[in-house]
Amino acid sequence: MCKECGCGETNGNTRLQFTVKGYTEESAKEVEKALLGLPGVLFVHIHAHDGETTVDYSPAKTKLMDILGVLQARNLEAAL
Amino acid sequence: MAEIQVMKNILGENDRVAAENQALFAEKNVYVINLMGSPGAGKTSVLEKTMEKLKDKLKMAVIEGDLFTSKDADRIEKHGVPVIQINTAGGCHLDAPMVQKVAQKLDLDDLDLLVVENVGNLVCPAEFAVGEDDKGVVLSITEGDDKPMKYPLIFKESAIALLNKADLLPYCNFDMAAAKEDITTLHPGMDVIEVSCTKDQGLDAWCDWLLGRVAAKQKKGK
Repeated sequence: MCKECGCGETNGNTRLQFTVKGYTEESAKEVEKALLGLPGVLFVHIHAHDGETTVDYSPAKTKLMDILGVLQARNLEAAL
Repeated sequence: MAEIQVMKNILGENDRVAAENQALFAEKNVYVINLMGSPGAGKTSVLEKTMEKLKDKLKMAVIEGDLFTSKDADRIEKHGVPVIQINTAGGCHLDAPMVQKVAQKLDLDDLDLLVVENVGNLVCPAEFAVGEDDKGVVLSITEGDDKPMKYPLIFKESAIALLNKADLLPYCNFDMAAAKEDITTLHPGMDVIEVSCTKDQGLDAWCDWLLGRVAAKQKKGK
């Protein structure tokens, strides 16, 4: 965040990057919206064609399992 | 899967003091809202209209946060509401110790509502609790409908968003439906109200929202 005042050191966010196979344009948008609605999720970017998924979130507010749960609920799976 | 830790949490001390503030305000049955938004969004204008409408219904006070000057506090004072100015001397947000220091100067036993108007900034204030019950964000439509997704934290943290200067909608390239969709995507169920201080639009709904929050807090405290 703001580097002028040192706020940038404080938000405790984690950036998670993984690949998901099987996105359609529609499901990618749906997943993006569902992830953004989770507490502490500030940014989501999905490349539907290659499945690259980036999530910026606060582990203090949302567990990794909650993020993966959004995918599983749509029969999608994150791959290493 | 790559998990990259990019930040560390050093908010512990602020959170501790914020909890102390919150306990004090709970003991005194004072509902506290931390009003945030960019410079020029219209936080002080919304506050002035709020005071006009609520000062006969609620006992209010205001803590004004600004980098320098008492210009906003001077505007508030004209409405006959107790106001305390905090000058952060360049600091871009209020924090809990600042609020704790000045809260002692207020007669909390004689208050229903305390508004903390934060420093004009769409980023940092959202990261710091000051002991409030709720945060609220004022976004003027002249800032652009892209701001919720560009500055998500403030919308995540706020219980209500006031989309101000709605009277200028015909003159701005602002997609109201898209902005509301983005806000409620970031914060499902969040209250969003279009307001205009110059046309007295939406302000009754905002004041009703505040009255409801104050009543809920006072009911909880009994």
